[in-house]
Amino acid sequence: MKKIFSFVSMLLTLASLTSLFAADKAEIDKPAPNFTLTDSNGNEHSLSDFEGKYVVLEWINFDCPFVKKHYDGDNMQMLQKKYTEKDVVWLAICSSAEGKQGYFDNDEINKRIADHNAAMTGYLIDESGEVGKMYAAKTTPHMYIIDMEGVLVYAGGIDDRKSTSIADIKGATNYVSQALDELLAEKEVSVKVSSPYGCSVKYKN
Amino acid sequence: MRTLVLLLLFTLNLLAQPIRVDHANVELISEVKSIVPGQSFWVAFKVDHDEHWHTYWRNAGDAGIPTKIKWDVPAGFKAGNIQWPFPERIMLADVANFGFENELVLPVEISPPSDLIIRTNVTLNASATWLICKEECLPGEAELSLSLPVSNEILFNEKWVDKFTATREKLPLKNHDWKTSLDELTRSTISIRVQSFTQSNSNLGEIWFYPYQPGFIKNSSDQLIEQTENGFLISIGLEDFIVEQPDTLSGILVSENGWRGENTERAIEITVPISNVEQGISNTEGEGFSIWLALLFAFLGGMILNLMPCVLPVLSIKILGFVQQSGEDKSKIVQHGVLFTVGVVASFLILAGLLLILRAGGEQLGWGFQLQSPLFLIILSVLLLLFALSLFGVFEIGTSAGNIGGKIENRGGNIGAIMSGVAATVLATPCTAPFMGSALGFAITQPVFVTLSVFAFLALGMAFPYLLLSIFPQWLRFIPKPGNWMNTLKQFMGFLLLATIIWLAWVLGIQAGSDAITGLMGALLLAGLAAWIYGKWGSVLNKTGTRITASVTAISLVIASVTAANSFIPEEPLSNTTIKKSNSTLPWEKFSQEKVDKLVAEGEKVFIDFTAAWCLSCQVNEKVVLNTQEVVNKFAELNVVPLKADWTSRDPEITKALAKFGRNSVPLYVLYDSEGNVTKLPEILTPGIVLDALEKL
Repeated sequence: MKKIFSFVSMLLTLASLTSLFAADKAEIDKPAPNFTLTDSNGNEHSLSDFEGKYVVLEWINFDCPFVKKHYDGDNMQMLQKKYTEKDVVWLAICSSAEGKQGYFDNDEINKRIADHNAAMTGYLIDESGEVGKMYAAKTTPHMYIIDMEGVLVYAGGIDDRKSTSIADIKGATNYVSQALDELLAEKEVSVKVSSPYGCSVKYKN
Repeated sequence: MRTLVLLLLFTLNLLAQPIRVDHANVELISEVKSIVPGQSFWVAFKVDHDEHWHTYWRNAGDAGIPTKIKWDVPAGFKAGNIQWPFPERIMLADVANFGFENELVLPVEISPPSDLIIRTNVTLNASATWLICKEECLPGEAELSLSLPVSNEILFNEKWVDKFTATREKLPLKNHDWKTSLDELTRSTISIRVQSFTQSNSNLGEIWFYPYQPGFIKNSSDQLIEQTENGFLISIGLEDFIVEQPDTLSGILVSENGWRGENTERAIEITVPISNVEQGISNTEGEGFSIWLALLFAFLGGMILNLMPCVLPVLSIKILGFVQQSGEDKSKIVQHGVLFTVGVVASFLILAGLLLILRAGGEQLGWGFQLQSPLFLIILSVLLLLFALSLFGVFEIGTSAGNIGGKIENRGGNIGAIMSGVAATVLATPCTAPFMGSALGFAITQPVFVTLSVFAFLALGMAFPYLLLSIFPQWLRFIPKPGNWMNTLKQFMGFLLLATIIWLAWVLGIQAGSDAITGLMGALLLAGLAAWIYGKWGSVLNKTGTRITASVTAISLVIASVTAANSFIPEEPLSNTTIKKSNSTLPWEKFSQEKVDKLVAEGEKVFIDFTAAWCLSCQVNEKVVLNTQEVVNKFAELNVVPLKADWTSRDPEITKALAKFGRNSVPLYVLYDSEGNVTKLPEILTPGIVLDALEKL
């Protein structure tokens, strides 16, 4: 019976694999799947444009209380500034479907970026959710780091304190800055995966 | 004066109104109106969600965070952890969360110190934080408090007791005898083998595993359930990004309909060590062997089919046909053999396909093609008997086998070869039908893949001699000559089918008791009579009128036999228990420590059932195990005194007795032998466990 069972699961795996050939899938220590999205100023960006640079992907939804925690607490902007100054590319990606929470027109996005004094390289719009699903992004925030060779080296939460309280930012272990510091010091990333926390990404149904 | 104070305090307490927060009302409730020093009691954080809004379980799933309660209680008080009822899956597009909608009660046990002063008042403060979501999410928090008077007796709060009882039924059962092990762990899936209660419910409904740890199990994955002999295998996808592979996987298994039948435990806590992979591998091999064995038997069975009277003559003729047709060109002959095989396999697979379609249709109509279904067992037994009688020659199925050889057209070409394979299969039916029918009967209970494989191997087995002979036509001379020995063999095969009925009767006996077996015997008798009538008056040798009457009588008899046997099956299927439900009860006496001491001193054998009305497992154990005829008889036979310690309202004497056995919860089952030695029984009882324990006294 076991054999049949594994056979069935093998079929299922195969089935899911075939569906993945269409849209590549992100895996740790494997080349990160490429994508092309338009930013809030109408410019197109592809991941492959940034080869030779470290790239941070930040799944964002400005109205999610977990995202608010890190923006109202000046945590996210601080990280964006600190690392973009070190030539790291920081891409915020919003996978909220049109009409769902976190989906805004470009004027509103740019207003919010300005209000928060945010410093991402670009705010990319993924209203179809394709890129989000490619990276299995589940929460906002959900963070990813891609190294200079285009390999995915971190996927997970921004830190280890799962809460909406700004007071928890201080004292938390920030996995993103830890990994970036290690990469910039040419060290191996010590924590490559952590469990993300936040609101669910508001994908199209 | 005292009454007045208490009244005042109650009133204060009742004034505690739910607090309106974003999209919910929250409140701290208590199961009791008054507390007693040193005796623990239950309070709960109650959330009434607005429609479509939800808060989260201890593992929130892909997004969200669990509700937390921070207690501020007077010195000496202890507040326990939240006891989480099982959650529901809340899917938002591709994101799977575990949480609660509508009304939620999160119970917490509070243990007060024993030096409390009666007629004072204690206040419990709690600050709760949570995340409440519909599509969008809002964090919430509330400061709640509850005042309770200290008294010398516990008074239950009628307003909330039912809520606590209902919630306890949703808490996972933690002490049980289930065995779980890792079956297989791959990069993307995990399979867990679960050996469930010996008395499991055959209609469990949907089963779902909710892990305690985040970041390992993929929450949005499908969960495949495969029934095994004494439980099931559950296979779940793993997270895309695995944070850390835990040493043990723990969580709860939730059955839609209750693990021991309706209104029984729905959630059960399991822990699976996942470091020990070797064990899983050996399991795999053991199980794998049986499927290969089944396929081997199918293949051998297929070969044996060739020895049937209506098949063997065809064999020689077919091969000779190949040889003649192709002249001396050897490769042509082989090609024909292969194509003939393709034809046979194709027709068997088409047959299997039809069967599967029938099964799918049947499932939609709610027919269960399962060996667990007593009706199905009866039908299968009757069919097997009819097939066996047909092999014995009592009656013939379909056309007479006599002139089949001549009917196979020796059409040329490849299509002709395939078609002759199909024709051989169809024309051999009068002899193969009994075996095919039996194979069908079993295959119908199997998953699609097994059914198809079994049929394919049966076909390959049947076609194998043809294939072999088309490669080595000179071997034709080794083929035994058709003759009377084939009829002898055919009749002997009939006994194999009869032997199978014994096995089915055994399964039926376990499920439905001895009455059902009597019913089955009657059904078999009637079916035998039907076969005899059909054989005697229903064959082509008789007049049309006689034949029709005989056929109608035979068919009615078979239907009547099954219907009659079915009426012997108890109304409520007993799932897998051997015990018949009855209204007998043990002559319970009320527990008191004094009584126990006295009985034990007198050398009496004593059984104590520590139970409570709000304890679901206790109720189920009493209903399906303790108060059954067999157990009741055994108690009487061995003169065991059954005492019932009802802890529904937290009797301090019972609390003390429980503590003596190192427990602070029910159920607890204790047995004293005549020397006063104590045996503790598990929390989940089966008749076997109780009877064994009584035997050992």
